[in-house]
Amino acid sequence: MKVRTIWPKSEAMRHVDEMMNQATNTQTLASLDQNSLESRYVVNASQGQTSSYAPSLTGSEAASWNMYRPDNHSVENGSFSNSAYHHVQQTEPSTRTVQDGSNAASLATSSSLGSTNAQPDYSGYNSYSNSADPYSYTSTGYQGYYNGYQQQPNPSYSQPVGAYQNTGAPYQPLSSFQNTGSYAGSASYSSTYYNPGDYQTAGGYTSSGYNHQTSTWNEGNYANYSTHQYSSYPTNTSGAYAAGNAATNSVQYQQHYKQWADYYNQTEVSCAPGTENLTVGNTSTQVSQVCQVPGVSSGYPTTNTQVSSSFTSSWRPESSSSQTPSIQPGATVTGAYDYWKHGTPSFQNQHPTPSFQNQYPTPTPQNQHPTPQNQHPTPSFQNQHPTPVQPHNQKPLESQPSYDNFQEQQKAPCPQDLNLQYPAVQQAPPSYQPPLQAVQLLDTRRVSKVQIQTNPRIASNLPLGLPKVEKDGSNISAATKPAYISVSLPKPSEKALPNDAADSALKAGMFPKSLKNYVERALIQCKDEKQMAACRAIMKEMITKATNDGTLHTRDWDAEPLFTIPNADMVDKSNLQNPTPVSSLPKYKKSPTKRSKSRWEPLPEEKSADKSGSINNYATKYSGWFHANEKDRKPAGESSEGKTDFMNNRVPLVEQKSASKAFQRPLKRQRLAEGNAADNGDVSSDSDKEQSLTAYYSGAITLANTPEERKRRENRSKRFEKGQGNRAEINHFKAKNAGTGNLYSRRASVLVLSKSFEDGGSRAVEDIDWDALTVKGTCQEIEKRYLRLTSAPDPSTVRPEEVLEKALLMVQNSQKNYLYKCDQLKSIRQDLTVQRIRNRLTVKVYETHARFALEVGDLPEYNQCASQLKILYAEGIEGCHMEFSAYNLLCVIMHSNNYRDLLSSMSRLSSEAKKDKAVQHALAVRAAVTSGNYVMFFRLYKTAPNLNTCLMDLYVEKMRFKAVNCMSRSYRPQVPVSYIAQVLGFSSSMAPKEGNDEKDSDRLEDCVDWLKAHGASLVTDSNGEMQLDAKASSSSLYMPEPEDAVAHGDASLAVNDFLTRTST
Amino acid sequence: MAYLSMGEAHRRITEYLNKFSDAVLYQDVTSLARLFSFSSNSPSLLPVADALNVFQDANRLIKQSDKFSQFGEILAQLLRSLQSYRLGNLVDSYQAFEKFANAFIQEFRNWESAWALEALYVIAYEIRVLAERADRELASNGKSPEKLKGAGSFLMKVFGVLAGKGPKRVGALYVTCQLFKIYFKLGTVHLCRSVIRSIETARIFDFEEFPRRDKVTYMYYTGRLEVFNENFPAADHKLSYAFAHCNPLREENIRMILKYLIPVKLSLGILPKAWILEKYNLLEYSNVVQALKRGDLRLLRHALQEHEHQFLRSGVYLVLEKLELQVYQRLLKKIYIIQKQKDPSKAHQLKLEVIVKALKWLEIDMDLDEVECIMTILIYKNLLKGYFAHKSKVVVLSKQDPFPKLNGKPVNS
Repeated sequence: MKVRTIWPKSEAMRHVDEMMNQATNTQTLASLDQNSLESRYVVNASQGQTSSYAPSLTGSEAASWNMYRPDNHSVENGSFSNSAYHHVQQTEPSTRTVQDGSNAASLATSSSLGSTNAQPDYSGYNSYSNSADPYSYTSTGYQGYYNGYQQQPNPSYSQPVGAYQNTGAPYQPLSSFQNTGSYAGSASYSSTYYNPGDYQTAGGYTSSGYNHQTSTWNEGNYANYSTHQYSSYPTNTSGAYAAGNAATNSVQYQQHYKQWADYYNQTEVSCAPGTENLTVGNTSTQVSQVCQVPGVSSGYPTTNTQVSSSFTSSWRPESSSSQTPSIQPGATVTGAYDYWKHGTPSFQNQHPTPSFQNQYPTPTPQNQHPTPQNQHPTPSFQNQHPTPVQPHNQKPLESQPSYDNFQEQQKAPCPQDLNLQYPAVQQAPPSYQPPLQAVQLLDTRRVSKVQIQTNPRIASNLPLGLPKVEKDGSNISAATKPAYISVSLPKPSEKALPNDAADSALKAGMFPKSLKNYVERALIQCKDEKQMAACRAIMKEMITKATNDGTLHTRDWDAEPLFTIPNADMVDKSNLQNPTPVSSLPKYKKSPTKRSKSRWEPLPEEKSADKSGSINNYATKYSGWFHANEKDRKPAGESSEGKTDFMNNRVPLVEQKSASKAFQRPLKRQRLAEGNAADNGDVSSDSDKEQSLTAYYSGAITLANTPEERKRRENRSKRFEKGQGNRAEINHFKAKNAGTGNLYSRRASVLVLSKSFEDGGSRAVEDIDWDALTVKGTCQEIEKRYLRLTSAPDPSTVRPEEVLEKALLMVQNSQKNYLYKCDQLKSIRQDLTVQRIRNRLTVKVYETHARFALEVGDLPEYNQCASQLKILYAEGIEGCHMEFSAYNLLCVIMHSNNYRDLLSSMSRLSSEAKKDKAVQHALAVRAAVTSGNYVMFFRLYKTAPNLNTCLMDLYVEKMRFKAVNCMSRSYRPQVPVSYIAQVLGFSSSMAPKEGNDEKDSDRLEDCVDWLKAHGASLVTDSNGEMQLDAKASSSSLYMPEPEDAVAHGDASLAVNDFLTRTST
Repeated sequence: MAYLSMGEAHRRITEYLNKFSDAVLYQDVTSLARLFSFSSNSPSLLPVADALNVFQDANRLIKQSDKFSQFGEILAQLLRSLQSYRLGNLVDSYQAFEKFANAFIQEFRNWESAWALEALYVIAYEIRVLAERADRELASNGKSPEKLKGAGSFLMKVFGVLAGKGPKRVGALYVTCQLFKIYFKLGTVHLCRSVIRSIETARIFDFEEFPRRDKVTYMYYTGRLEVFNENFPAADHKLSYAFAHCNPLREENIRMILKYLIPVKLSLGILPKAWILEKYNLLEYSNVVQALKRGDLRLLRHALQEHEHQFLRSGVYLVLEKLELQVYQRLLKKIYIIQKQKDPSKAHQLKLEVIVKALKWLEIDMDLDEVECIMTILIYKNLLKGYFAHKSKVVVLSKQDPFPKLNGKPVNS
């Protein structure tokens, strides 16, 4: 058993890949292996299950495929029970051996099983179903799906498949629950479910895997099914069952389905796929997603099976319309069809109970087999799915651990389920509340049961007597399965049970027709996806509120005024603001991860899968919603494939985001609803986090809808693999992302980014789509104060380029002082930056600012501008390049004593730059400075072009001091001050021409003052001319402390200085 | 490339692996180093590289035998690097080589004796050369060249391995020199400081104990650093050491040393013999030397302009530019001698007009103020002994040694 479990894990990895491939295949048929598979898929597509099988490419698989196919055929033919059974048995041994032998083998077998699964499943089902053919059909159908799903995950998957199968029945309830619950209310739910739909195709694959499983797992799965559904599901199952029952039992149900069906189907379908995928991929981590999906898928199958042929047909359309996400649709839909076909005939009447019975039988056989694996995946599925899925999963898990238990439980649950289902079906149409109550009752009971189950799961041993028995009974399954079960179970139980109950109540298709009409009306209002999502969110709230109030069924929905559709931004905001969803998501993920840990060794691939998986789910969800809408409009007759394609096309990131939101909400509810079960689940989940995460990841991968998406996700996941050691963190991160995913607006995404940064520090910057985040300003104000941004820029306060041009002009012509100009220019620069405008205007702004800064000697600001300009010039944007390279040179000369800097900046000058007047001047200044030629320096100072003077200003004091030092050393006996004043540029500010006595005296005074301040000794000669006593001065000169010295060493930064200088 | 059979490829690779393990076993550093020396394009390596392209699963060979598998990481990366090298994929080759080198260092650390130092030298050299070529490849692909930097940090690690009391310490200087080469190439010479400090202050190192070639290289680079710092006496000392100890047959190396030593010596007032410039093909300095001899300011300026780019790149431009003052001094001395011949009694008074006229003959147009300024600077810098009388515009020279010689002391003080 252990060996097997291990294999599944390793296989899980492969499966993940395969899943991915399969997903792609279903959609694009691109993957290599899958190509062949795809072809098979296509073929299968007709059958549904076969397509999913394609993923497993191993040779053994192929062989098995053939084998299985026959089986399937037989099943299809209607010789389900006996023949199929035999097959199953045969296949089972082979699969086991394969698993033991090697992962690859197991994979192959699983795949083969997958392909064959449908058949084996059928056979297995048949045996199960023997008691009740229709049921068996349903079960088989489910199994087929499940198998297929499992196969995708392969090792783990196969196990999950079992779970899926088990969940199959539960799933239906779940789906119904979901629909009724949050689904109706929240579009997101539906969307998520839809995603599962995509997964369902994968599920189809798993179904093939199921065959394998069926041999070993199927039974377990079945058992799980029964147990899960019954035990944990009670509430859920009630809901689910109700759904299923409704479908089969009452026309109303069908109607509900149809109406809600869109939601349900979509949701369910998507869920199912998702679950399938999840199970396939990661089982544990993905489980949460997967779980949901499986639940959904299972729900689908069950519904289908249970539902009469008519029902199935309706479902099909729905599912197709729901698009069960492209991937799932292909396989799943077809699979569903097949199932339906098979199931429908027999099912129609018997559906609810018979199916259960059938399922039960099947579970027992499965129990003997390594059902635990199946269960494991399912748990993860549960986690992923909001409440409904989880319950399902839990059930499957429990059931898996011990078939006997399952059976027993099933027995117990069966009644409940049946009751529930029936009631749900019956009650649901009339009023929500009744179903809810029933559900609650069921829940409570089930909860207790569930708790037990969960506990066992947590404990790894099945706490429940039954589970234990089961384990004991099936050594194989027990050994491997227990751990799995424990892991998976806790999660589902925690979240799933309560939520499921609520969801089931809500979803159960119990909404009054009037409400459905209302919803339809509201949705028709919507013009685009955003509105749709917003609309759904609102309706969801309304409905939940009404449900809570108890007014759901009493209110006159037909008279209810339509709410105004909020704009997408609003929705986004609300989503953003909604902390709970986010938090709930993280929890979700956490729990799955915990589970996975215990059972599964952490697999890097799985991580990636998880990520992708979540995304996929979202996408699927979204698509699901759309489909739902479309469904209403479209006839059910549409081909599933077409729908799937549709889904694929449609599932954009945004949709995914919305889906994530939806996810979050359900989670919340689940939390609230969760009582004991939740606690139990938490315990178990903690231990298993890591493994579940990995599983989750792998599942996610499988979920990937489109090749591009996959690529993206893979990249992302790789990054994560690298950077993150802590899986839990990863989960959080993902969860948060998912939560934020809904946001449509850039700001939202920015927020998301920031969040993600906080949480998943490893997120790479290059991953950010800056283009998408770039703000387009709308502000028309020309004047704007500079404020350092502390948050994402608000477009309403950012000026567009035209306005910025005007603003620049305004600043250039402004008579106000530098402080004002600096402030204005900084705000212009900021606006340019946030809008990522880099053109001539940008250069102009920086040049202008640099010049202003130079004029007042604001070197820090100048340096900022200069470094930006350097980059801008390097990008080839035109400007006054020469002028500024001259400034640069001067800066180096004046302020750097570093020879190398000077050399390098000199050697970098191009020959044409050396011809530029300003650059030549700067070079001459350099020569004067290095040689100490003060005469030359001050001549250059007077003739400086542009603002070179301003930079030279900064060196004047030093140069003068050096010069006087030199003079006092060299001249004897005296030097006339007038000469000094002339040579050292004291006349520069005044009229430089000689002969003007007044000005001469002025500059003389300046010079005398300066000399005195520097300790020179002055004498007056016989002519009354002021002379510098060189000898005396040579020892007395000193550099005075600058009067305007400031603490930070830059007087130009002193505000008072600014004010005085700029105002004069 | 001629067809290479699988068996032949297998044989070659196995032979290569055997050479490695034998070299390690017998501590035969010469043949060990030969296995790493990619850039030698040695005829013993190329066939192996070709074989690697044919026989892709060399790792299996390594794993098959205990003899090889104990050096699994070393050999696997080495082979990968060799293969990429042969294919011209230098970035991949570098990456694999760095991994190989890291693995080798781990192994090297465990060897008590320093027998493998030569092999380590080869690795240090190869990784630098490979990084430079990989960077060129990266740059031509528009990517940021960063491999040389990576090689630098790897060599720092190697330095840490060698800098100890053991017999391996004599290898530290070689690695230091490779680091210098990297830092100078990258323009991050400030990073040299820490290595220099540990070489010059750590007691474990006795400079004379290092191999001569390393000492010469080390002195050359530290001398260049002193040139950057304008510490000419120290630069003179280091470069002279390098010049004196350099293998006289390595003319290219001597030329590199002289490229810096000559400007340094010039700035200290010591002129080289013409034959040195000719022998080592340093004719760009010949006009500078001529100008100094003749006091021909124009010639100096022309020489500087002519070779401006070259001087800027090698970093001696500013050093040479400062020779102007010495040229002025020479010019004044010539005027002084002429005056002395005419009228010894007034020879010590140099009229500013005369100087300006002399400069005019040299086609250098300077007015009185400017020349006066130059005179004050010359006096200030102690290139002239005397004073300047502003009133009469005359440079009054000391009667004793009016033109002091630098004699190995730098200008300025």
